Amino acid sequence: MCGIAGMVASSNVAKRLYRSIAALEYRGYDSCGMALQTNGHIDVRKDVGTVELVNLNTRLTEMKGRVGIAHTRWATHGAVTKENAHPHVDGEGRVAVVHNGIVSNYRELREQLEESGTRFASETDTEVIAHLLGAYLDKHGNDMELAFVSALQDIDGTFSLAVISTKSPGKIYCAKRESPLIIGLGDNANFIGSDFNAFIEFTKQAVIMDDGEYAVVTRQGYSVKEILGGETVDKSVTEIEWDVEMSRRGGYPHYMLKEIYDQPASVLSALNIPREDLRALAGIIHESRQTLLGGVGTTYYIAAMAQYYFSHLAGCYLPAISTDEFPQLAQIGPEDALVAISQSGETYDTLTAIRHAKENGAKTGAIVNVMGSSLVRTVDVPILQGSGPEICVISTKAALSQALILLLCALELGEMRGRFGEKDVLRYREDISSLSDILSEMLNERSGFLHTSANRHQNMKNWLYLGRGIYYPAAMECALKMKEVTYLHAEGMSAGFLKHGTISLIDENMHTIVLMPPPEEEELHSLTRSSAEEVRARDGFVLGFRFEGDEKVAGLFSEEIVLPRVSSILAPFLHLISGQLLAYFLAVALKRDVDRPRALAKSVTVA
Amino acid sequence: MRALVLAAGRGTGLYPFTETRPKAMLPIAGEMLLENALKKLRAAGVTDVVMVVGHCHQRIIDYFSHGAVHGVTIQYVKQENPTDIRDAARRARDFFQPGEIFLLVYADVLTSGNIYRHVIQTFGSFNEPVAAICHTPQAQNFGTVYLDANMRINRLVEKPSEREMGNYVLAGVFVMPFELFDFLEDHEMDSSLNAIIGSSGLRAAIWEEPWLDAQRPWDLLEGNQMMMRSWTEAHVSGTVQLRGAVQFRGPVTIEPDVVIESGASIFGPCFIGRGSFIGNGVLVRPYTSIGADCTIGFGVELKNCTLFDRVRVGRLSYIGDSVIGEDAFVGSGTMTVNHNLERAEIQLSLKEGIVNSGLDKLGSFVGDGAQVGASNTLAAGAVIAPGDIVPTHHTYPRGEN
Repeated sequence: MCGIAGMVASSNVAKRLYRSIAALEYRGYDSCGMALQTNGHIDVRKDVGTVELVNLNTRLTEMKGRVGIAHTRWATHGAVTKENAHPHVDGEGRVAVVHNGIVSNYRELREQLEESGTRFASETDTEVIAHLLGAYLDKHGNDMELAFVSALQDIDGTFSLAVISTKSPGKIYCAKRESPLIIGLGDNANFIGSDFNAFIEFTKQAVIMDDGEYAVVTRQGYSVKEILGGETVDKSVTEIEWDVEMSRRGGYPHYMLKEIYDQPASVLSALNIPREDLRALAGIIHESRQTLLGGVGTTYYIAAMAQYYFSHLAGCYLPAISTDEFPQLAQIGPEDALVAISQSGETYDTLTAIRHAKENGAKTGAIVNVMGSSLVRTVDVPILQGSGPEICVISTKAALSQALILLLCALELGEMRGRFGEKDVLRYREDISSLSDILSEMLNERSGFLHTSANRHQNMKNWLYLGRGIYYPAAMECALKMKEVTYLHAEGMSAGFLKHGTISLIDENMHTIVLMPPPEEEELHSLTRSSAEEVRARDGFVLGFRFEGDEKVAGLFSEEIVLPRVSSILAPFLHLISGQLLAYFLAVALKRDVDRPRALAKSVTVA
Repeated sequence: MRALVLAAGRGTGLYPFTETRPKAMLPIAGEMLLENALKKLRAAGVTDVVMVVGHCHQRIIDYFSHGAVHGVTIQYVKQENPTDIRDAARRARDFFQPGEIFLLVYADVLTSGNIYRHVIQTFGSFNEPVAAICHTPQAQNFGTVYLDANMRINRLVEKPSEREMGNYVLAGVFVMPFELFDFLEDHEMDSSLNAIIGSSGLRAAIWEEPWLDAQRPWDLLEGNQMMMRSWTEAHVSGTVQLRGAVQFRGPVTIEPDVVIESGASIFGPCFIGRGSFIGNGVLVRPYTSIGADCTIGFGVELKNCTLFDRVRVGRLSYIGDSVIGEDAFVGSGTMTVNHNLERAEIQLSLKEGIVNSGLDKLGSFVGDGAQVGASNTLAAGAVIAPGDIVPTHHTYPRGEN
């Protein structure tokens, strides 16, 4: 996972390019750099650290040039060092390259180049591209476009890359194969970037590149061609609807809290998704022999929650599968379907699963937040969730909306399968439409209790989340939130599973959180209660997330968070938001880097 | 930006210590609340201060004068009735210009980080009125707020109900337009803020670091802990005299001219004020704050307590989970008992009657100038009024424990 940006304009681009990579920092942030071309040479500045830190050390904003490329890196090949940071140049400084993805045959290419006398400065696969371009410039008499295409044809792997060259001033050469890349069209300035955040501050006009295409971008225009064949491709211009202000933190202490507070609004966007779109997705499920729900990390837990909605509302079992295990496990054919869930739409494991399913003739659907992403363009039926940009590495609002959209889809499927009629769907939807207000109430009136609880228990190192039914995957999602952002040990588990082993862990070093169902779900409620009692019986500390008016749990918990009363169909959403808030406040108390937890990147585009 | 600092508050709930001083002059971790606020204001670039004083105002004026020592310029506004914010506003209004934007500060609020800088930065980013907000377990004592998705406050609740206890509360720091004075002509503070919400909007600045508004005497101990937890280094003045082997451990702060006799053990985080004397074999345990010019006799143990200035503690006494007022005398062999045998929550007799502290470990609260005779046992939660005398060889209050 890396971010690339580029800019060609009629005046110095250094400051704007710096803002571009700062806006992309959430894609990766262990090192960064910029290359600007000026007066016949290329100036490269790069170092290890956040974009802000590297700017302090190397004065990126004071560089000179009207064309430049930039990169923020999340290491995959090679250690995090200054040498390995992008951009990379060839031996003579004629080209500079930034690159996102993997060159899978870089060892062979490197050996060939080294045999012919090339010396390498870094361990990265990207530097191979730079030297390869250098070699082709020599071969093709400094024809940059020809050298670029020749090099592209030599490299295997998944990537997007951008190049500037002294031999072809005022132009950015870029190409895409499986990693994202888009072109932004401004006034007297054009841009490239890994996603809209790179240039949303400067323009809302974008051209989305497809796999196997390359582009030459100049100040006045752009041309897109196929890497193989070289035919010009006619591209349409997309108007980006995201607002730049929305992309920023809005005064919140962290993006994570801002995005938690965005949820009443993002839930409304999900509710505004046209029912035809939901029915299209429900349709492929309805027509298929077997449908799998695929996700990885948070989205896997969301898929696991959706299983219960599909089972209860539509009367069918749609197994959830973690897409990283998909190739090992899934049996999928032309009569089947795979519905994938991904915030970025670029998740490597999920894209691989979708491609695998397509190769086997299965139908595909997806719920995605980022429009124009690979997943949207790959599947038969994409649903754009419209949650707005999610900048914090930890997914909150996107995940909650995904669960909601799957619930709405389960309603449509239920009607298709004759489980209930149109009126019932409307009645359910009427009930669900209150979710936005309930989440607002939760945020405004109850967040303080979670904050107090987090402060009180900040020294506890081990947390166990328990739930039954749909509250079981919700418990796993809450535990994942806590792991990701607090670095504490947390695990989610079905409450029924507890006494089959894990209960031996219960002692003063382990706090248990129990996700209580609303009291109307009597059977679940009583089973969950008895699990809480088992923990209490072993002197374990139990924090209960329970609903208002639940008399049966009086005195059951060591401490409790009372959630506003809702219908049981919406109950899991209140557990999700409570889990988000508890993880957030604990991370703040522990002074963690909330928006950029160690070792995590926003979307995992590598295997 | 100039600041309007409200320091007239009486702090009735902090009896017996606010009988003789304004709330803002209570010491926490070796510093008056107001002193802490002024230092942070200066660090945030605010050096021009209009200060509303009322209850025991002379103490503030004597201590800070015109602010030169603290690097600020202070103009004082005297308020006769310290509970009436509208009266304060009417008097302060003349010091500000129409159109002026100013920082409004409740001086008795304590934070470990610089809340003023945070609020001024928020104002700089959005250029609209700002209110700092935070979470506190004591939400019932404050106005609570409702936020929209853009971090604007859209509603303010003066007296929160049970269900609003989990809301963010107003944290006592604001950036306000001059119009606030107009609203305060006819309305109370909360209604005026609601009027600001309606006219220009009110942006929240979420404060996530520790925050305390002391409401009860034991909150002074909580404040010590809050401030001292962030200490990471020891600071021992060059003029401290160590007369023999003295053991230090952890982040201790020891001010100039302190004398420590042989055999004392000082365990941080703790604070010992200028000119104090620490006798042979004294044990100072964490979260102890000793004021200036105190005298601690042979073999005394101090733990999680605050001693104001010029306190004398006789030999072989134990002071734990307690606060001892200025010029108080604690005779030798006095024990502050800090729990009941049944470990029940400790009750205190304060001005408004019996108050439950909700704590099962709490010592004594001895008012300014009180004298406790030798060989006394002070029951858990004992409160001694300023200037009172407890006879020698006694159990206080009589008949308990």
